[in-house]
Amino acid sequence: MDPASTPLGKLLLDEITPVVMVLSTPLVEEACLKNGLSLVEMLSPFCVFNNIDVPVRTASDQPYRIQKFKLRLFYASDIRHPNLEVAKERLKQVITRAGEKDDLYSEPPQTSNLLSSSESEIQPSWFEFFNKELVRTMSFSDHEAFDHPVACLLVVSSKDEQPINRFVDLFNTNKLPSLLNDGAMDPKILKHYLLVHDYQDSDQEKAAKILTDMRSTFGLHDCQLLCINSSDHEMVERQDNPWAPYKSGDSPSQRLGCFLNVDDYNEIKDLLQDLSSKHIIPYMEQKIRALNQEVSATRKGFRNQIKNLWWRKGKEDVADSPAGPMYTFSSIESQIRVLGDYAFMLRDYELALSNYRLISTDYKLDKAWKRYAGIQEMMGLTFFMLDQSRKEAEYCMENAFNTYLKIGSSGQQNATRCGLWWVEMLKARDQHKDAAVVYFRICDEEPLHSAVMLEQASYCYLLSKPPMLRKFGFHLVLSGDQYKKSDQIKHAIRTYRTAVSVFEGTTWGHIKDHVHFHIGEWYAILGMYELAVKHMLEVLACTHQSKTMQELFLKDFLETVQKTGKTFEVLKLQLPKLNISSLKVAFEDHRTYASPVAASVRECLWRSLEEDMIPSLPTARTNWLELQSKLVSKYRESNVCVVGEAVKVDIEFKNPLQIPISISSVSLLCDLSAISDELNSDALSSTVGPQNDDGSSNLTTNRDMSSENFSFSSSEVDFSLGGGETTLVQLMVTPKVEGILQISGVRWKLSGSVVGLHKFDSNMKKITKGRRKAKPPCDNLKFIVIKSLPKLEGSIHSLPEKAYAGDLRHLMLALRNPSEFTVQNLKMKISHPRFLNIGSHGNLKTEFPSCLEKKMASEQSGVHANSNNLSQTVFLFPKETLIQGEMPLLWPLWLRAAVPGHISLYISVYYEMGDISSVMRYRTLRMHYNLQVLPSLDVSFQVSPCPSRLQEFLVRMDVINRTSSESFHVHQLSAVGHQWEISLLQPVEAIFPSESLMAGQALTCFFRLKSCRKSLTSTDKVSTLSPLLGSDVSLRPEGSNEPLFDISCSPLADFHLCERLHQKMSHQGDPNAVDFILISQPLKDNITPGIADPPHLFSHHACHCSTSSTSPISWLVDGPRTLFHDFSTSLREINLKMVIYNSSEAVASICINTFDSTSTSGHLSEGTADLSTYPSGDQTGWHDASVVNNIKVTSDVHVGAQVGKSLSLESVPPFIWSGASSTRVQLEPMSATEIPLQICVFSPGIYDLSNYVLQWSLLSSDDSGNQEGKSQHSGTCQGYPYYLSVLQSA
Amino acid sequence: MATTACFIIVSRNDIPIYEAEVGSATKREDAAQLHQFILHAALDIVQDLAWTTSAMFLKAIDRFNDLVVSVYVTAGHTRFMLLHDSRNDDGIKSFFQEVHELYIKILLNPLYLPGSRITSSHFDTKVRGLARKYL
Repeated sequence: MDPASTPLGKLLLDEITPVVMVLSTPLVEEACLKNGLSLVEMLSPFCVFNNIDVPVRTASDQPYRIQKFKLRLFYASDIRHPNLEVAKERLKQVITRAGEKDDLYSEPPQTSNLLSSSESEIQPSWFEFFNKELVRTMSFSDHEAFDHPVACLLVVSSKDEQPINRFVDLFNTNKLPSLLNDGAMDPKILKHYLLVHDYQDSDQEKAAKILTDMRSTFGLHDCQLLCINSSDHEMVERQDNPWAPYKSGDSPSQRLGCFLNVDDYNEIKDLLQDLSSKHIIPYMEQKIRALNQEVSATRKGFRNQIKNLWWRKGKEDVADSPAGPMYTFSSIESQIRVLGDYAFMLRDYELALSNYRLISTDYKLDKAWKRYAGIQEMMGLTFFMLDQSRKEAEYCMENAFNTYLKIGSSGQQNATRCGLWWVEMLKARDQHKDAAVVYFRICDEEPLHSAVMLEQASYCYLLSKPPMLRKFGFHLVLSGDQYKKSDQIKHAIRTYRTAVSVFEGTTWGHIKDHVHFHIGEWYAILGMYELAVKHMLEVLACTHQSKTMQELFLKDFLETVQKTGKTFEVLKLQLPKLNISSLKVAFEDHRTYASPVAASVRECLWRSLEEDMIPSLPTARTNWLELQSKLVSKYRESNVCVVGEAVKVDIEFKNPLQIPISISSVSLLCDLSAISDELNSDALSSTVGPQNDDGSSNLTTNRDMSSENFSFSSSEVDFSLGGGETTLVQLMVTPKVEGILQISGVRWKLSGSVVGLHKFDSNMKKITKGRRKAKPPCDNLKFIVIKSLPKLEGSIHSLPEKAYAGDLRHLMLALRNPSEFTVQNLKMKISHPRFLNIGSHGNLKTEFPSCLEKKMASEQSGVHANSNNLSQTVFLFPKETLIQGEMPLLWPLWLRAAVPGHISLYISVYYEMGDISSVMRYRTLRMHYNLQVLPSLDVSFQVSPCPSRLQEFLVRMDVINRTSSESFHVHQLSAVGHQWEISLLQPVEAIFPSESLMAGQALTCFFRLKSCRKSLTSTDKVSTLSPLLGSDVSLRPEGSNEPLFDISCSPLADFHLCERLHQKMSHQGDPNAVDFILISQPLKDNITPGIADPPHLFSHHACHCSTSSTSPISWLVDGPRTLFHDFSTSLREINLKMVIYNSSEAVASICINTFDSTSTSGHLSEGTADLSTYPSGDQTGWHDASVVNNIKVTSDVHVGAQVGKSLSLESVPPFIWSGASSTRVQLEPMSATEIPLQICVFSPGIYDLSNYVLQWSLLSSDDSGNQEGKSQHSGTCQGYPYYLSVLQSA
Repeated sequence: MATTACFIIVSRNDIPIYEAEVGSATKREDAAQLHQFILHAALDIVQDLAWTTSAMFLKAIDRFNDLVVSVYVTAGHTRFMLLHDSRNDDGIKSFFQEVHELYIKILLNPLYLPGSRITSSHFDTKVRGLARKYL
């Protein structure tokens, strides 16, 4: 690549060119100003020669031709070091002007676009201009020679008096630049004399005369005449004005050069061409040769080098001043430098380089650092122009740069220039990354300057291969900060905007926040609030920031929003955060809910509850009107809701910040497209598919505010969220007309100024569509609104939240129908009939608990256990029940807290519309209540047969009060079933000394239970169906004559049935099982006064307490207990009888085997062992008997076994069984029989007649199969001890 | 211990998954974002350098004024980046190696999804402890 064609090459060919100093008289300027131009401006366009074609010879006589050439013209007054302050001001203006042009409203560039476009497109065009200006601020320094004027152009007007003298005066020393005066450069420079003649003033003759004078005075070749303004009075129109690019400012370009016609134009051109080709270039060439000879003479060659070194060494103690020693133009160092620079300007780079090298070491040894740096800089550039040794070029530039920086603040500017050239050099070689680093190093304290440099650095990063986007962004941000510091906000925004595109979608939170927040802030400063708000929105949800930053962000944001003076609607406002997964929609189609709690219950629970209550789908469809099925088929996806009934949406709002925010006017965004009636039928009767176009035209969408109010109303919620808080908000929308309601999103207002919108994602539906069957009611946000229907409202009055177990209460179900349409055909189902029972309409008004009290056997009111409220069936309200208008339907319910624990009660009420034309034929009302049941009394029963009596049992009741504070009166104990009679064993006072059961107290008491069932009759069978006639025993103290409660009364009986069901699975259980109901009341004192507490009644049910022992056979030996007989005469025969009872439900075959003592075998023969063991049998015998008597109290001891163990048998049997030794009988179920027994006694004594065995087996009746698992088929029973005292009669 | 030090773990998708200011200097409000900027920009350099060497520890790869960025690249191309103003290459190397061990332990956790944010407080305290020890 040709170095000259690179940007740097062009720059160097442009900037490092011979300077021509112009000295002119005021009259010359006057003449030029007629064209709106100064003299230099007028001449400048013609100083660039693209094809000058001048032959040049190098110092070593190598000929070559220069094609391109340029002269730089400056007034003598401008040839000095530019004022730094003025220059800075100018640069600032350049930047500001560039900033004005920026269009801040346009779309920011995208990174991908940036990458694909070329360098010139990316970088703002003013960068180049800026850099040039910056370099120019460094010109005319005394440490380098290429800015030193090569020639001097003296210009005098023909109007001037004594023009020859004027020429002499012009080159007067006190007007000359300091460079010439202080000896930095040779004052003997090439002079060229120019006479300017204005045609408009006078004839050319005078000018010609002066020219001849001049020629005679100054020499023939150095004088020229320039005639201008030859076009008299008419404007010269030009296609492209050559002066326009040179004239800064905004004067109209048409005016420029308006008096210069083609002749003038050509004259100027020729003049300058002549000047450069015939004067300047040869002059320079000549000078190069002269200097080169001198340098060769003094410095080249071995001798000269040694000499030079020696001489330098002697100067080593020179003070180390930053500028180094002063070199005059005549010094050899300056001459070498001039030689180098001239050679450079004439493109003889080899020569230039050799001279630079020569001088470089000298300056270094002289510690003339600034000059040294300048030389290094030029060396670098020369290397570049030679396109060789890149490394060396870079090294030179870096060396120069560092050296400039080393000399302190004065070198800073030079360093900048050096850096810019260096950068260009690197850029030309595609080393953009390194270029960026250099740009970064150019930055100095001045923010504006740094800003521009940083921005250029950033573009270098972008242009490097591969592009370093992150560095690009970072440097843009740095640059933006510097722009902001120097009040160039527009530039700051511009850089940040580009950076935004780089950092788009970054997860580096601080970076994103910084960029967006600052750009927003700056937009706000410029008053572009909308854009400001747009950017600030991005930083609102900055959870990672500290609290103070969050406050700052929010405050600034709100301030900005306020300044805009309007409310913003922001889609996807991040504050607060919406938890979409928490979205829950509750709506009521045919399922209505009495409370929100009920709505949150899982659908499948309700479904299973309502299973047999609701008409199944196919039948329902045939019943439905065509309208409905069409509707359904058309909007299969949609849900159904009813006009006037609210659709509720629950959604969670979360504040991600640590600071509180206030949210107001939270409401749903809805869309209700109403279907007008006549079109409705039309659209619906036709098929759906091809009619889409028509369908859409039929729908009149009401979006505007006015009709919104008309078609639906939605609720608004206000709340405030503390730091990190989450709130669940319920929003409602109530459609007012039929149509299709689409809930599309949520809107809210943040801090009263910004409106946030959130659209619910439509693909949410798709996810859940697959499981439509079991869907929760929140999937679909599209609803068909159907015309208003009656809707029952139901509640249960005075249902407690907490109750003690056993608590029996009278409740009231109230159903209201606010609409004017009737509902009918009501059904109800309750999930836990054990807890909640439906009363009958009759006991609506009854007083509780007195309604349960036993009437005097007069009327058994018909409200006995309804056969229909057995488990899992549906309660049908009477047919004629209609609910309409304001009057609520009241229906009694009974609550009994059956077992401790948390119970969820589900109640579903089904009703049908009175209006048969409605789309929906039935609805259900779902109620849900939670009940906490606390433990109260623990009751357990133990029943054991009474050994001495057939059909009698001892009942032991253990009662423990489990409550922590309550005390109870035990009111009554009832044994359920009419075959049972229960009675007290002890007086009540003995059992309950304190009349009540305190908290934590345990009690045990005993009762006698008697079965009064005689035999199995058919009436018995019947009575099992309503077994709740029982016998009661009052446990109240004697004095109180409180009535007993009738356990056969409705709620008690019903609940008892449920308990029975629950406590034992088979209803047909053991017929001998007995159920007990313990009724108690809380002690009145404990009830807090002031609250009208409803009367309480507690019932505890213990079911299926088995009365039977191991065998279904029970028997009793009956006979005399004491006999007197004279054994001296004869033995005594004693007749006994055995009553055997078969309590099973099968025919029993019983075999009684008696043993005489002789046929003893182990355990069977206990006989009268006591007699033999004790010699004086009488006393011991009595004693034994008394023990036996006691046994009947401690019921559970098996007497026979106890006695049996302590036996040893070696004695003669005192008695023998007479009669048959084995008797077999058949016994009908539930019947008794008597068997006569006889023994023979031979001597007086006490006899234990227990040495017999009953072997029984159940002859299987029809239901033997059922029984098999549960009880034995056959068994053997040991005889009871039966003590017979036979005394010797006197 | 260094007066300024910022340690960031960057996942292979260039997402910061762990950040800790471990310097002893008092915190400045804008320091956090400056540190992020520097480290983020340094990723460009890492991207070039990581493939030129087989060593995991890339030494100081970038600098901004007097802040230096040292980087350690794991085999899974997770980058540990440390911004520091101290010159202690050995300490930094040891620091990175021990953090790498900790990071591997995090990766072994079956409940940790690679590339997601490291929220373990145990990890945090350990890293801070290592920073005190080596930096």
